[in-house]
Amino acid sequence: MHRFRTPWSLFPVFRHSLRHAGTPRAVLVGSSWPAKMAAPAVKAARAWSGLALGLRNAVLRLPGLTQVRWSRYGPEYKDPHIDKEYYRKPLAELTEEENYERELRKTQLIKAAPATKTCSVFEDPVISKFTNMMMKGGNKVLARSLMTQTLEAVKRKQFEKYHAASAEEQATIERNPYTIFHQALKNCEPVIGLVPILRGGHFYQVPVPLGDRRRRFLAMKWMITECREKKHRRMLMPEKLSHELLEAFHNQGPVIKRKHDMHKMAEANRALAHYRWW
Amino acid sequence: TMLKGMTRLISRVHKAKHGEQHEGQHYNIPLQDLKAVFPHGLPPRFVMQVKTFNEACLMVRKPALELLHYLKNTNFAHPAVRYVLYGEKGTGKTLSLCHIIHFCAKQDWLILHIPDAHLWVKNCRNLLQSTYNKQRLDQPLEASIWLKNFKTANERFLSQIKVQEKYVWNKRESTEKGSPLGEVVEQGITRVRNATDAVGIVLKELKRQSSSGIFHLLVAVDGVNALWGRTTLKREDKSPIAPEELALIYNLRKMVKNDWHGGAIVLTLSQTGSVFKPRKAFLPQELLGKEGFDTLDPFIPILVSNYNPKEFESCIQYYLENSWLQHEKAHTEDGKKELLFLSNTNPGQLERLCAYL
Repeated sequence: MHRFRTPWSLFPVFRHSLRHAGTPRAVLVGSSWPAKMAAPAVKAARAWSGLALGLRNAVLRLPGLTQVRWSRYGPEYKDPHIDKEYYRKPLAELTEEENYERELRKTQLIKAAPATKTCSVFEDPVISKFTNMMMKGGNKVLARSLMTQTLEAVKRKQFEKYHAASAEEQATIERNPYTIFHQALKNCEPVIGLVPILRGGHFYQVPVPLGDRRRRFLAMKWMITECREKKHRRMLMPEKLSHELLEAFHNQGPVIKRKHDMHKMAEANRALAHYRWW
Repeated sequence: TMLKGMTRLISRVHKAKHGEQHEGQHYNIPLQDLKAVFPHGLPPRFVMQVKTFNEACLMVRKPALELLHYLKNTNFAHPAVRYVLYGEKGTGKTLSLCHIIHFCAKQDWLILHIPDAHLWVKNCRNLLQSTYNKQRLDQPLEASIWLKNFKTANERFLSQIKVQEKYVWNKRESTEKGSPLGEVVEQGITRVRNATDAVGIVLKELKRQSSSGIFHLLVAVDGVNALWGRTTLKREDKSPIAPEELALIYNLRKMVKNDWHGGAIVLTLSQTGSVFKPRKAFLPQELLGKEGFDTLDPFIPILVSNYNPKEFESCIQYYLENSWLQHEKAHTEDGKKELLFLSNTNPGQLERLCAYL
């Protein structure tokens, strides 16, 4: 979805309520009128938003609300279907519904597919998201090359270990850089997070269960910040990233430590859990 | 279409027995041989691959087979024939050259291998005025590195070949007539200031004595288009230096001329390290320029092209056997078709793609 860059902090309420229909966030500053107006309107919108992705924008075009992330496509545009197998099916094999859907899509307006979403067999959405997060200033070429060099570095390090190890250990050593990457990020995901909630004029850090997307985002964000900041000036990013990924794969290293710190803080502030109202 | 049953030629078949039926198959070079024959000259990505797989495997391809055929039938009484390997970027010119060098080393030829002539015309920090000829400039660092590698590659010849002239280095040191060539090389390595002159002497002596028949000489230069282009080097007064004014280049040009007999000259063109040449240029006329082409004329051009389907399949099989392709989808038909499309059967691109899959 095409999103414009707007300052996030303006209307945080909308940002979160647009994405997670079921989890509103607390109002930051007491008397901000859009936020007060938003709550009932958004509640109404949420009632209808058990709907398909494309229609979300239509639902929340209510007066008085400004969306933080919005796209130039109107509500009538459908998402493109990127799947070679879907289009290769001969007409005879289609079921009633699929036939109907095909005919429908011939007349509907369809959004343009983003350049990064391909029907390549080697494509991985997690890798694409991570590359986008590593990207600075729109330099996707550099970010992608760093990502590929990281995967290559991980692979070569694992091959070194494989050749140096004995026969029994060779069965345990994982050489696929993609499985290592996915497992490392999964190991770094926190289970519980802290959210600042305003009560009686003070902000309290309240432990809160995090949704899937927030957890994945936090894992990737921690990995990238750690590699950017805690490396030697002359060390290259792929080398550092591959090192950190391998450590996270084995549940060691600074990113895992940060996850554990977050868990400990949540455990320490256990008493404040009552401040959560959702 | 996948050709089933592409096997690798793992056995150490004597290189002389490589024929057309071996095209597309890989052969193994033992690692000790690698260190002895190639102290320098292998492409860096190939070195990384050798380190990762713990084995060095080269694919036997048509250009190399053609060259081997010519080399096997060389007439050592005729002047040295010049063979020029040319092709687009990443097609395997340098590795074909390495194949030839390995063959000749096994046949006990003396290998004069300049790994990359482009390194001698750019990024040189210390240029000294030559002691031998005031107009020319010395490159002590590059010359000494090359001499060290030359010594590793051709140990056994250094004691056999005798110098035919007396060379005076400075007031205290000189090399007598009849002393082994190893002494000249040692002098060049220890006294870095005289390294360029030592290289010049080595080249001159080898050229003179190759006709005598004690040894066969193979001159292998990678990136020969550096000898006749421009350099990026400048003097202290910021005036540009032409390649002729560098002693190393001047001596190498004399080597590449075909006025000696008793060996062969195999050259490779390369745009990758070249200076002031457009990226898409790969033909000899474009890369060598008028001067270079006229000097090298007549030569035998050998085109190195991308993989044909059989070679591509063989390369993929090789990677699969070493379990280099770890991605699950890479084993499937769709994955192979995609690799074919993305790399356009270019060997260099395929290697880079498979590195992260």
